[in-house]
Amino acid sequence: MHVEVTTPTQQQQRTFIQMRTVLKVVDNSGAKKVMCIQALKGKKGARLGDTIVASVKEAHPNGKVKKGKVVYGVVVRAAMQRGRCDGSEVKFDDNAVVLVDKQGQPIGTRVFGPVPHELRKKKHVKILTLAEHIA
Amino acid sequence: MRIEKCWFCSSTIYPGHGIQFVRNDAKIFRFCRSKCHKNFKMKRNPRKVKWTKAYRRLHGKDMTQDSTFEFERKRNRPERYDRNLTENTLKAIKTIDKVRSRREAKHIETRKKGKKAQLMREAVKELEQSISLVKAPSVLKEDKSYTLPKIKVKVSQAEAKNQPMEE
Repeated sequence: MHVEVTTPTQQQQRTFIQMRTVLKVVDNSGAKKVMCIQALKGKKGARLGDTIVASVKEAHPNGKVKKGKVVYGVVVRAAMQRGRCDGSEVKFDDNAVVLVDKQGQPIGTRVFGPVPHELRKKKHVKILTLAEHIA
Repeated sequence: MRIEKCWFCSSTIYPGHGIQFVRNDAKIFRFCRSKCHKNFKMKRNPRKVKWTKAYRRLHGKDMTQDSTFEFERKRNRPERYDRNLTENTLKAIKTIDKVRSRREAKHIETRKKGKKAQLMREAVKELEQSISLVKAPSVLKEDKSYTLPKIKVKVSQAEAKNQPMEE
């Protein structure tokens, strides 16, 4: 069982989600960890709310998504801070992703943990309705 | 729009200021400025950092219990708009603010009360202990004006006589 540290030491400078960033998958699609292979927007990489292309590195044995598949995902939590519409900033504990298909519909049926309300702006209302907490 | 309180120093955060950190259990930590955010990252306890409101409250520096704090409670139910209510609230804000500042001043006054006696005690002690810095001890023996008057205490018990040594 992987034990989560509640407040990790954050001395590391957090940066964009770029090629080879490993992200946690926080839905029940069957994948556990994915590695980013392409950010669909932005030169430097993906940030909170952006869509990425990823390859599944770890998966549950009988899930919808198998290891080695190339999938699309929405970054729902990012450790790098992101400006909000009012000028303040928000950041999260870890880098997490929710797998979606090409049309933007989530593959899983549940979303775990907090997600930012900025997903509404990005037209991912479905993820917001599935989410437990909205920050 | 809501004016939030900083998690670390309890100051108000106006919209567009500061940064917020969302932990994985969805607890939101809001910080008014990078100073507070950095102190949080260093895992400092706001109760142990002297400039925070938490420390001042804990150590009796600030007024903690007062009926005026009741008005500043967080309410999650939005109030239906009512012009009269708004007007009354705006009036009340001024009065409440006046009352609170008066009570806070009084709190500080009562806190200061014991200070004078304490200063006196410290001054007496310093005079006794370090008068030799001003006057040499030999001078003091002749001129008594630099020392405090000695209070004579009678010793009731008679001194035991020295027994002659036995050969």
